[in-house]
Amino acid sequence: MLVVHGLWSPARGVVLWAEDGERPATTSRRSLRTARPHPFAVPASQLAGIHPGKQTSLTLLLPSRASGPVESPELVRRRAPGRRSAEVSLTPWTVPAVVVEPGELADPADDVRYGASVAHLRALAAFADDLAARGRVLPTLRPGPEARWRPVVQGLDAVARRSLVDALPPVARAEQRRSGDTAGHSPELLIDAALDSLVDAAVRERLALADTPVALVPPRRGRAPKALPATEAWLTALDGPDPRFEATERELATLADALAPWDAVTTEETGPARATFRLSEIGTLHDPADPGDDPLDQTGDGTRWVLEFQLQSTEDPSLVLPADDVWAGRADRLITSAQELLLAELGRAALVYPPLAGALRRARPEELDLELDEAHRFLTEDAARLLAAGFGVQLPAGWNGRRPLGLRLSVSSPAAPGVVTRGGLGREELARFRWTLAAGDEELDEEEIAALVAAKAKLVRIRGQWVSVDADALARGLDFLRRQNGRRGTGTVADALGLAQGAVDTPLPITSVAAEGWIGDLLGGTADRTLEPLDPPAGFRAELRPYQKRGLSWLAFLASLGLGACLADDMGLGKTIQLLALEAREREAEGERTDPTLDAAPGPTLILCPMSLVGTWQREAARFAPDLRVHAHHGPGRPRGEALRARLADTDIVVTTYGTASRDIEELEALPWHRLVLDEAQAIKNSNAAPSKAARRIVAGHRIALTGTPMENRLAELSSIMDFLNPGMLGTPERFRQRFAVPIERHGSPEAAETLRRITRPYLLRRLKTDPTVIDDLPEKIEITQEYHLTREQASLYRTIVDDMMEKIEDSVGIQRRGNVLAAMAKLKQVCNHPAQLLHDGSPIGKRSGKVARLEELLAEILAEGDKVLLFSQFTEFASMLVPHLSARFDQEVLYLHGGTPKKQRDAMVERFQSGDGPSIFLLSLKAGGTGLTLTAANHVVHLDRWWNPAVEEQATDRAFRIGQGRTVQVRKFVCPGTVEERIDALIESKKALSDMVISDGEGWLTELGTSELRSVFALGAEAVADD
Amino acid sequence: MSDQPFWAQEDHPKRPLRVENGIQIHSTRGTVARTWWSKRFLVVLEALGVGGRLHRGRSYARSGQIVSCVVDAGSVVALVQGTRPTPYKVRIGIPAWGKQDWSRAEQALADDAWYAATLLAGGMPTEIEDLFAGLGLALFPTSQRDLSMDCTCPDPTVPCKHLAAVFYLLAERFDADPFEVLALRGRDRETLLANLRRRRGSTAAPEAAVEDDSRPLGELLDDFYAAGALDLTRFAPAEPEPGALLEQVPELPIEVRRHKVRDLLRPAYDQLPK
Repeated sequence: MLVVHGLWSPARGVVLWAEDGERPATTSRRSLRTARPHPFAVPASQLAGIHPGKQTSLTLLLPSRASGPVESPELVRRRAPGRRSAEVSLTPWTVPAVVVEPGELADPADDVRYGASVAHLRALAAFADDLAARGRVLPTLRPGPEARWRPVVQGLDAVARRSLVDALPPVARAEQRRSGDTAGHSPELLIDAALDSLVDAAVRERLALADTPVALVPPRRGRAPKALPATEAWLTALDGPDPRFEATERELATLADALAPWDAVTTEETGPARATFRLSEIGTLHDPADPGDDPLDQTGDGTRWVLEFQLQSTEDPSLVLPADDVWAGRADRLITSAQELLLAELGRAALVYPPLAGALRRARPEELDLELDEAHRFLTEDAARLLAAGFGVQLPAGWNGRRPLGLRLSVSSPAAPGVVTRGGLGREELARFRWTLAAGDEELDEEEIAALVAAKAKLVRIRGQWVSVDADALARGLDFLRRQNGRRGTGTVADALGLAQGAVDTPLPITSVAAEGWIGDLLGGTADRTLEPLDPPAGFRAELRPYQKRGLSWLAFLASLGLGACLADDMGLGKTIQLLALEAREREAEGERTDPTLDAAPGPTLILCPMSLVGTWQREAARFAPDLRVHAHHGPGRPRGEALRARLADTDIVVTTYGTASRDIEELEALPWHRLVLDEAQAIKNSNAAPSKAARRIVAGHRIALTGTPMENRLAELSSIMDFLNPGMLGTPERFRQRFAVPIERHGSPEAAETLRRITRPYLLRRLKTDPTVIDDLPEKIEITQEYHLTREQASLYRTIVDDMMEKIEDSVGIQRRGNVLAAMAKLKQVCNHPAQLLHDGSPIGKRSGKVARLEELLAEILAEGDKVLLFSQFTEFASMLVPHLSARFDQEVLYLHGGTPKKQRDAMVERFQSGDGPSIFLLSLKAGGTGLTLTAANHVVHLDRWWNPAVEEQATDRAFRIGQGRTVQVRKFVCPGTVEERIDALIESKKALSDMVISDGEGWLTELGTSELRSVFALGAEAVADD
Repeated sequence: MSDQPFWAQEDHPKRPLRVENGIQIHSTRGTVARTWWSKRFLVVLEALGVGGRLHRGRSYARSGQIVSCVVDAGSVVALVQGTRPTPYKVRIGIPAWGKQDWSRAEQALADDAWYAATLLAGGMPTEIEDLFAGLGLALFPTSQRDLSMDCTCPDPTVPCKHLAAVFYLLAERFDADPFEVLALRGRDRETLLANLRRRRGSTAAPEAAVEDDSRPLGELLDDFYAAGALDLTRFAPAEPEPGALLEQVPELPIEVRRHKVRDLLRPAYDQLPK
C-alpha cells in the first residue's frame, strides 16, 4: 500500500513522493551527519509509473526515531510494527521523488492513498488556475530578463491565500533548504513562490489553449528588425512557453520604470476585515400622498437611495459593523484597529469606484447618497467592479443583479393528470402557451407594462421591487409577446420542455415556466407522486411496494412521452424489479394489454450491465416475470448475424455487458430495439470511454438509466447520463462546463446548482432509504446474493485444487477423509477470496481477485451514500491483506477486529465505529466479531466468504440488525456462480426449505456427502469466469 | 589647500569601503522616486544642481553604503560608509511643526476622512499640500533654506554624495509609506492615527496586532502530516470578470507602434476564462 505526499519545491515545482507499507520500517544505517536514504520511500521509477514526471530526489526533514522516519498516519502496514522508543526528533532523509505537472494532481490513482499535503497542493494549484481564469494577474518584468505573469491577490482572494498559508501541513514545508537547516520553508514565502510560478504557468496554458490564437504584438508592416524593441520582445515572451527575451540594459531600465505603476498593484496582506457596501432605500419625511416637491424623494414614493458603508470581519463573515459603530469606537473590541481598517478600505475602494471620494470628505463618513441614475449604474456596473476588487456588496432584497426583467411562460395541458391515456399523450401534443412579462417571479399586468414603457429612469419600482429597464430589450420583449400570443398561443409539450431547459433563444431571458397539470408535475419533479400508482400485470409474481408502484407509473409515464428516464433509487430499493414490471406490463398478451399507449407488442429491450449482474437479471426475471423471454448475450458462443436476428424474434429482453456491447456495436446498432437500459449507469461517466460511445450509438425507441449512486454530486456522471437519455439536453460538454461545472465546483454557486436541478429533475427519480414515505414500506432486512466472477488465475488454481483434493479424498476413509474434505473446502474458499491467500506469497492485491474487485464496487456505492458497513471473513490472512488495500483504495481508515485484538482496543474500535463521524468500514473476523458486539451504526453487512452454517452467519448479521438499528439492513453474501460457493448455497437453501433444521455448529455436515456428490459440488462451471 | 597628500583628497576617484548588510534601495535602474510626493521631496535636492554628486549618491544608495538611517521628528540621521574606515555621519534637518501647528493640522485631517483613507490605502492626495498651506504650513521643503544638511565628510560641497544617498533612501521610504513624510514633520504614524481617532470622537485604543510567526518544523512533530481546514469555495468570488483588473490599473507610458500596452493585452485577458 502506497501513501503519496506532495510539496512545492521552489527549485523544482510540484513534487510527489510516497511511502510504501511493504518496505521495511527501519534502516540499519546510522549516520547523524548526512541525510540517510528513507527506508520505506517508493523508488522514483515506481512512483513515476503512477504519476508520470521527471525523477529526482529531495532531502526532507521528517519526524523520526533513531531507527527510521515515523510513518504518516495514512500508512497502514499489513503487520503492525512492534513497540518503539517514544523519542521523536526531526531528521533529514533522502527521498526519491517525481516532479509532475500541476494537472497531474487532479488525476488521482485508485489504489493509492493520498496524504493531506496532496489535497492542499491540489487546492493551491486550483486557486492559481482560478486567479488566471478570472484575470487577477498582471504582467511584470523579472531578472533574466524574463516576462512573467504574477498573481494579484486582493480582498477575498487574500483571505483564501491566508487560509492556504494557515492550512499548510508541516510536511509540505519539510524540504531542507540547505545543509543544516532545521526550520523548513516559511509557509508564507512557500505559498507565494508557488502561486507565482503556478499562476504564470496557468496563464500561459490558458493562452495556448485559446480558441482564437492571441497575438499580443500588433502586426508589423515590412520585415522585423533583428533585435526587437524591448517592450515588443517582453510582450511576445508573455505568450508561449519561453518567458525569456533579450534587451539592452538601458531598454530594460526604461521598461522597468514604465511597469512600476503596475508592480505597485500589490498582493496585500489579508486584513482582518473588509469594507462592504450596502445599497438600500431610506425613507424620507416626505408623504407619498403629497405630490409636493421633496428634494430628498428620489423615487416618488418617499424614499431615496443611499450606499451605506460597513466593515465585515473576514474571519467571521457574519460579523458586519455599520460605519457609525466603527467611528464611535464600538467596533474596536471586535476588530483590531477597526477605524484605520475601514479608512484604508474606503481609500482603496475610492480608486475602483471614484464617486466614493466625495462621500469621504467629512470626519465620519457613513454613506454615499445616490441619484436614481447613479443607483442604477451601481446596480449594473459598479457593484460588480467592487466585488471583483475584493469588496463586499449587499444589494436590496429581491434584486438578482443581472436579469430582473424577463419572460414568463404559462403552460396548461389538456389531458387529465394521473391517467396515461392512449395515443393522446406525447411530446407532439399541443398545449396552451401563454407568455407574459415578469419581474422576478411576478407577472406584470398591462398597466405595469405601460408604466415600464413610459418610464424615463432606468430603475422602475414595480410591486415593491426595483426593475432595471433596458428600453431596447423591453421593446424586443414586447414584440415577442405580441407575436407569440397573437398567433394561436399553442406549442407542443416538447416545446415547453425545451423552453424549460433554456435551450431556446428568447429576446429576454425566461425567468420562469409555470405549468399546470401533468406538464407542471413533470417540470416540478413531482410526477411520481401525482401519477396514479400502477400495478404490475397479472402474470407478475411479486407484490410491488407502494413506492415501487409509483416508480413503475413514473417510468411508464416518461416512456409514453418518449422521454429518457433515470431511476436513481438508493441501492436496495429494487430498481431491477421496477424495470422488469415495466417490461412485463408492455408485453402482456394481446387483448389483456393494460398499457393503452402500445398498439402492438414491442420489440426486444437491450440491457447493458456489468458482467457480475448478467446472472442477477436472468434470475430475477425468471423469478418475478417468468413470461419474459430473456437472452443473455455474452461469451464466445453468442449468436451473431442471422442467428441473432432469429433469436431476437422470440426474445423480450437481451442482457449483455458493457464490454460485449462495445465490441459488437456494429451489429447491435443495426437492430431495432424497443428500449435501451443502462444498469449501473455510472459506467458511462466518462463520455469518451468505449461503453459510453457504444451506449450513445445504439438506436432505441426509449432509454432508461439505472444507478444507485448520488449523481447530483458528480457532475461529469450526471451530464453524461443525461446526455445519453435526452441527447443535447445540457448542451455541449464545453457549455456544460461553463454553465454548471465551473460555477458549482469552483465557486460553490447555489444558483447554478439550482438551475441544474431544475433542468434535470423531470427526468430523474431518486428515492432515499431514509425517506419516510419509503422507509415505512421497507422490510427490516434485505438479503442479497452478491454475484462475482473468478479471474482466470483464480479459475486455474481452483481446477488444480479440485483435481488434487478429489484424488486424496477418494483414497482416504474415516477421519482422514473428513480432514481432506474440510481441507479442500478451505482451499477452495481461499482461492475464491484471492490467489495470494492460497499461495501465501504475500504479493500485493492488484487486480487478481474477482471478489475483491466486486467488493470495491460495492463499497464505493455504500460509502457514496454515506452508509457504514461490516465486512466478515473467517480468514485472518485475507482480512489483513484487505485492510491496507481498502484503506488505500478509499483513502480512509479501515477498522479491523480479530482474535488477537486486546479487549481495551476492541471497545475503543466499537465506540469509534458507533460514533457519528467514525470510520465507515469495519472488517471483522467471523469468530472474534461474530458475537456479542453491538454495531448498529452499520446498515450493511457483507459476508465475504461463507461459513456454511446459517446460524453462525445469522449471528454475525445480528451485530448490525438488532435493537438500536433504525434503518433497513442490507445483508450480502458473496457467491461465485459455478463454484462450490453457489452449490453449497443452493444446498443450504434446499435444506432450509425442507425443514427448518438448524445444522449443528461448524461445517462438519459437509463431510458426510458422498464422493460423487462432493465432485459435483466442487466442480468448476464455465459460468464462474467473466468473459470480459 | 589641504595639508593631506593629493591621493587622499576626496575629489580623486576612489572606491568606498564595502558595508556588510548595508541598507540598499530597491530601485536598480532609472529614477528612484515613483510617487508624486517623493518626487516633490527630491525636487529641492535636484534643483541644487550639484551634478555628478547626485549620480554618485544614487550609486551609493544602490550599492548599500548606508549603514543606518533613522527618521525622527525634524531630522534624519544616517551613517554612510565612504572611503574612510569610520562612516560619515549625515544629518538632514527640516523644521518639525510645533504643537499648536500639529493640533490644527490634525483637526483638519480628522475633519476630512478622505486624507486618512487615502494615506492608509498607500497614497497621498495632492490636495494635502493646499490643506496644510491653508494653515500656513508647508509639508515639503521649497528651497535649500528649509533644510539643514550636514555631513562629516571632507567634501565641502553641499549636498555631498553621502547626503544625496540619504535623500534617495528617504524618497524610497516615502514611496512605500507616505506617513513617513508626516513623521519627518513631527508625527509618526501610530501617534498621528491615535490622535485622529481621538479627534474623531472615540477613545478606544487599538490592541497591537498579533504577529503570528511560523513555527519551526521541530515544534510541529505531532501533526506533521495534517493540514488545517481549507474550503476555498467559501471565498470564491461569484462573478468572474476577467478584464476588470486590467481596466483598473493606470495607463502605462509605453506603446508598441502607437498601440497602448493595455489594448494589446486585452485580447489575452478575454481568452483567460475559457
